[in-house]
Amino acid sequence: MTDIGARFRERSIEVDGFGVRYQEAGAGPALVHLHGAGGLRLTPALELLSRTFRVIAFEMPGFGTAENQRTQSIQDLATTMAVAVEALGLTQINLMGTSFGGAVACWMAVQRQDLVAALVLEAPSGIRPEGSEPVSGSPEEVARMLYAHPERIPAAPAVEPALAARRLALVRRLRGPGRDARLEEGLRGLGMPVLVLFGTQDVVIPPAMGRVYKDLLPNAHLMFVYDAGHAVMVERPEAFAEAVGDFLQRTDAFVISQTRTVVFP
Amino acid sequence: MKVSYFETGRYRAPSDLPAIWPMPAAAYEPSEGARVYQGMIERITFAEQLGFDWISLSEHHYSPRILTPSPQVAAAYLAAHVHKIKIALLGPIVSHSNPVRVAEELAMLDTISDGRLVVGLLRGTPNETLTYDLNPQETRGRTDEGMELILKAWTEPHPFSWQGRHFRYRTVSVWPRPLQQPHPPTFALGTSREAAEFAARNRIGFGVSYGPFEIMAKATGHYRDECARRGWQPASDQIIFRANIILGETDAQAQRAMEAYPLRAAFSLSEGVARALLELDTRNIAGEMRPATINRPLPVNFVGGPDTVVNQIRRCRELTGAGVIDLGFNTPGTADPAALLDTLSLFGRKVIPHIRDI
Repeated sequence: MTDIGARFRERSIEVDGFGVRYQEAGAGPALVHLHGAGGLRLTPALELLSRTFRVIAFEMPGFGTAENQRTQSIQDLATTMAVAVEALGLTQINLMGTSFGGAVACWMAVQRQDLVAALVLEAPSGIRPEGSEPVSGSPEEVARMLYAHPERIPAAPAVEPALAARRLALVRRLRGPGRDARLEEGLRGLGMPVLVLFGTQDVVIPPAMGRVYKDLLPNAHLMFVYDAGHAVMVERPEAFAEAVGDFLQRTDAFVISQTRTVVFP
Repeated sequence: MKVSYFETGRYRAPSDLPAIWPMPAAAYEPSEGARVYQGMIERITFAEQLGFDWISLSEHHYSPRILTPSPQVAAAYLAAHVHKIKIALLGPIVSHSNPVRVAEELAMLDTISDGRLVVGLLRGTPNETLTYDLNPQETRGRTDEGMELILKAWTEPHPFSWQGRHFRYRTVSVWPRPLQQPHPPTFALGTSREAAEFAARNRIGFGVSYGPFEIMAKATGHYRDECARRGWQPASDQIIFRANIILGETDAQAQRAMEAYPLRAAFSLSEGVARALLELDTRNIAGEMRPATINRPLPVNFVGGPDTVVNQIRRCRELTGAGVIDLGFNTPGTADPAALLDTLSLFGRKVIPHIRDI
């Protein structure tokens, strides 16, 4: 996996007047990914998932080169992304959102139960403790916030300060309150299988936020990924991809182990 | 200073038994084994009367030296017979256990004992990797992860899945939860950088054992530095020092006993196994590599009459910061239960009253 993007093809599509860029790889059931506040970044975990799923990783409007002043709320952004999904001819998707993208994914699932067959939330930021701030700072500071072991993670490509500032402003403008009664009421009504993952060492969104999802959605699965920080799929790609892939293929039955323990037949 | 009596079971092995590990099961005498467990009650009841704060148990296997391969089973038995003294499991070997099972059993014990459980979690001595076929190179990682999972299993209110490096569980939701909330006083035991940092990060205690005060002070110092770096300071009773003691009526009597002390390795392995384990089972003190203790006798930190031992305990506190000493009374002849009770009595009368303000 030296070249993570090798399997992926970049394309774009016109949606709601936005040019929406996306990366696509693999065949099989559609797995749509919505990135976190740092923008679209292909990861080894997405590469692993693309061996089983048709992975479509969108860049949400305003996180790339073009500005986005038009989207007024996170609900608007979710609506736009649902239109993007349908513009690709998809009528049923597995939806996965990371951090800020997890909050967008929650809204999309609430708005479009018909479209979202299963929901995966990686350290979602839709429910946050008071005073929680989006990740920002120098690349080193960002890495310390995102990872339990920043020294083990290859440095991310440098981001122009102006672009980083614009993304941060967009997230602040759209993210909404830390506890949004409308979102939480909507989550209570979800009928699709839901998997919520947190790294045990997440310092951006405390893993204890997972309890709120279980309060709202008793049938959701809450998973702790050991020794990962906020960016779970970057830090524990095999663990993340195995859990998500198994969940999407078997949904609730993924709690039943298929691990073989026979030492010698 | 709090003081803990380390109850090892006291199996009276014939003196001509070779010092090997594992000890053949054929050497085990069932009726002597039965006496061991009956004697436990007498000893810990006595320790409670003498003012010991804790009774401690540990996990070892395949050996007459410590007859509690399941300290949880022993603790359940003891909990029914004493009513004040705390029961310290120092501790279950996390590296070769199912951490969820450990969390369940400890929560049961805490509840059965009316909230008198103290928990120490550890990696285990090198010989124990052979007990359940564990790769010695994986014990560190399994211990760190297992400890984290045990704390999580005690404190998460909802069923959860665990996607670890060594452990994978899709459904964890332990009943009962511990009586002491959020969980019993818990210690990471060992000298390693990893154990100290785990303890500091999770705001739990730390325990060292069987080493010179100056060297153990490096480990406890690292723990305290890591706590300070994370903005908290451990209480004195959050550091345990486990050690052997030879107590006499006088210094001279203790010295004579020390000279007669059989300096034998606790778990003596064949040379080939010992050599291979020394390569595979890496250990450190506060990050400084050191060979594992294999086929070497454990030191005796406290030797002397009561006054001398009190001074040694004071020095232990000054150097290591420990606020709890956990003592193995290994005076030769104390395999004779009556002699052991005499030594405990001496400690209770002449030492305990003088170490409370240390």
